[in-house]
Amino acid sequence: MEKTRREFVKLVGGAALGAGVILAGKGRASAQTIPAKGAPSEPIRIGVMPGLTGVIGVPGTAAWRTTQIWADEVNASGGILGRKVELHMEEETTAKECVERFKKLTLEKKVDVIVGLMSTGNGLAVGPLAEELGQLWLAWDGTTQKGVEETMPKTKFAFKSIDNEAEAIGGAILTAKYFPKIKTIAGINNDYSYGRDCWESFQAVLKHFHPNVKAVEALWPKLGETDFTSHIAALKKAKPDLIMTSFWSGDVPILMKQAAAVGLFKTTKGCFTTGGGVHYTLKKEFTPEGLILGYNSMYFKWTDTWPLLTKFVKTYFDKYKEYPVYECDHAYFVLQAYKTAVEKCYSILGKWPTKEEVGKALSGIQVPSLSGYRGYREDNIMTCNFFMGITTHKNPYDFVTIDPVEVLTPSQIIKPTAETKLYEWIKGWKS
Amino acid sequence: METIVSIIFSGVFNASTLFLVAAGLQVVFGVQKVFNLACGSFYALGAYFGIVVVKSFVAGGFPKPLFIVPLIGAGLLLGFIGPIVERGLIKFVYDRDETFQLLLTFALVMMIEDVIKFIWGTSPQTTGGIDLIYGRINLFGATLPVYNLIVILCSLIIAALIGYILLNTKFGRIIRATADKKEMGEALGINMKMVYIKVFTLGTVLGTLGGALVIPATAVVSEMGVELIVLAFAVVVIGGLGSMKGAFIGALIVGVLKSVAISTYPELEMLTIYIIVIAVLVIKPQGLFGGSKV
Repeated sequence: MEKTRREFVKLVGGAALGAGVILAGKGRASAQTIPAKGAPSEPIRIGVMPGLTGVIGVPGTAAWRTTQIWADEVNASGGILGRKVELHMEEETTAKECVERFKKLTLEKKVDVIVGLMSTGNGLAVGPLAEELGQLWLAWDGTTQKGVEETMPKTKFAFKSIDNEAEAIGGAILTAKYFPKIKTIAGINNDYSYGRDCWESFQAVLKHFHPNVKAVEALWPKLGETDFTSHIAALKKAKPDLIMTSFWSGDVPILMKQAAAVGLFKTTKGCFTTGGGVHYTLKKEFTPEGLILGYNSMYFKWTDTWPLLTKFVKTYFDKYKEYPVYECDHAYFVLQAYKTAVEKCYSILGKWPTKEEVGKALSGIQVPSLSGYRGYREDNIMTCNFFMGITTHKNPYDFVTIDPVEVLTPSQIIKPTAETKLYEWIKGWKS
Repeated sequence: METIVSIIFSGVFNASTLFLVAAGLQVVFGVQKVFNLACGSFYALGAYFGIVVVKSFVAGGFPKPLFIVPLIGAGLLLGFIGPIVERGLIKFVYDRDETFQLLLTFALVMMIEDVIKFIWGTSPQTTGGIDLIYGRINLFGATLPVYNLIVILCSLIIAALIGYILLNTKFGRIIRATADKKEMGEALGINMKMVYIKVFTLGTVLGTLGGALVIPATAVVSEMGVELIVLAFAVVVIGGLGSMKGAFIGALIVGVLKSVAISTYPELEMLTIYIIVIAVLVIKPQGLFGGSKV
C-alpha cells in the first residue's frame, strides 16, 4: 500500500523514538547476523569525508575515529538489519577536490550515504551536488550558509549542520548572564566567514541585552595563524572588559598560552565560544578559571547518567588517550540517525528503502547520541543542545573543565527555520 | 609608552623566530642554490621534538628552570636529519631546473607533515606553562614575558655566531667562496660534497633550533611550518635572497610591521607586509642586501 509523505514521516518519527530507546541501552533486539528479509546481502557502503590535515585536522580526526568506533560496534552487533557496514574514506580538502571525491564516492564506489565535511565552503559546493546526484549527504559541521543566510532551505538529500553562529549566540547569552557589568568588548576571530559571522552575531545578541556595550577592537588573524603576541599587544592596548573569540582549533591553546604570559585575563574577562573543540589542550597552568568556554554540542563530562556518553568517552580515551570533542558527537549522530532511519523505513515498508525514502525518514528524526537526544528539523538542519560554562580548575585532570555547565537548547541559540532572518529573530527576543 | 613597548616587543619576538627560519633558507640558497621550502617543516619538527625533550626532562625530576638547556640540545640534535635529507634527496636536484627543486622540497613539506601526524597525531600540544616560571618584567608599564626575552636573546646570539663563522673562520670563507663561484672552489680542491652537507645541516639546525626555542611560548600544530614559510618568503624578498644580513633586517621589518599593523589597522596586516615586498621588488629587485653574498 502506498503511503503519503505525511503518513510516512509521522510513522517514522514515532518509530525513531522507539528505536532510540533500544539504542540507548535497553538491548539489541534487532541485531542480526544475516540480512533481513528482502535486504541486499552485500555490505552497506558509507562514504566518509573527514578533514585530516591543516586546521580541520583536529576535529576531522576525532570525527573519523568516532566513525570507525561506531562502525566496529555496529558490525559487532550484526550490522544494520543484518548488513555489515563498510567505510570508504575520501579526505576533505578543497571545495573542488571535495566535489570530485563526492562524485567518486557516489558514482564509482556507489556508496549508500556520505557523511562528513566540516567546512561550510565545501558544504556550499557539495550541497547542490548531493541534490543533483540524489545522494544522501549528512554533514558533520558543514552548512550551506552564505554568511548567516541559508542558501538551500529546502533539500531532499542534503542534511546540514547547525547554523554556524549558534555558539556565538550562546556565548553572548552567557556573557550577558555572567558578566552583566561589562561595558566594552573586543573580538579576535579568524578572518573568514565563520569568524566574522560569529563576531557580528555575538555583538547583536549582547547588545540586545545590554544596548550600551561598545566594541573597542576587532582583530582578524587568518585561519592557521600560530603567533598571537602582536594581537595580544593590540588587545592590551584596547583595554576591553571582555574578549570574545570563536577560535576552535590549535589557535585556542596558543592564544591562551600567550595571553597567560602577559597576564591578559587577570584584568580582562574572556568568552571562548568554541574553544572546547580542543578542551584537553587547555592546561590549568595557563588557562585561568572564570572564562566562558563553549564545548559546542558535546561536553565529555556532561553527566554520568547517559550510558552512551560514558561508554564512548571510555572507549575513546582507552584507544587514543584523549578525551573526545564535539565533532565526535556530530559524527556519531549522523550515523545513528542514518541507521535509525533505515531501520524504521524497513519496518514500515517491508523492503530495503531507497535513498529518497531514507531522506524522508531523516527529516524530523530524533535519536539518542552522545550528547543526549538530538535530531534533524523538517528543513534538514541539525538541532542539538550546546554545552557552555565557566572554566574551573576543580577537577582531577591537568586541563580545565566547566562549572556550572549551562545547557543551551536549540530554541535559544538556533533560528527556528532556514528562512528566518537571523538579526530580525534576535530583535524579536524578549529581553 | 606602554603600548609602544608592547607592540615593538611582540614584533621583535616574532622577528626572532622568523629570522632563524629565514636564515636557514638563505644559507642553503646562498651556497647550494636550492630554495628549500621544507625549512618551515624543520621548524615544526624542532617544536615537536622540543616538547618531547622538555616533558622527559620534567618527568625525570630535573629542575624546571633549566629546561632551556635540553631544549637547545633538542634543536641542535635534530640537525642530524640535515645530512640524511641532503644526501638522500637534495643532492639529486642540484643541477636541475629550479622547478624540480621546488617540487622536491614541497614534497618534503608534505611528507614531514604526515610524519608529524603519524608520530604525534593532529592534536595541538604544549609544554604546559613551563615558560611562565621565568615570570614577567615590567618595562615602561608594559608587561613582557621573560621567556620571550630569552628567545630574542638566543636569536641575537645565533645571528652574531653566524656572522662570526662566516667572516672569521675557514669554514666561513669556504662558504662565501663557494657561494660566489662553486667551480673555483672545486678547482682549489674544496670537497664540495662535505661543504654541501655541512651547509644544509646548518640550515636545518637553524630551523629546528627556532622551533624548539619558540615552543614553550606557544603550542604546536602540524601545519605550523607551512604558516611560517609564507612569512619567510616575504623576509627573503625584502632582505635579498641569499643574504644573511638581509634575513636579519628583513625579519625585523616583517615582524615589527606586522605587529604595528595589527595594533593600528588589523585588517591591513598582510597587505602592509606585501606592499613592502612589492615596493622592494619594483625599486630594488635584488632585495635590500641582495648584492652582498651569504
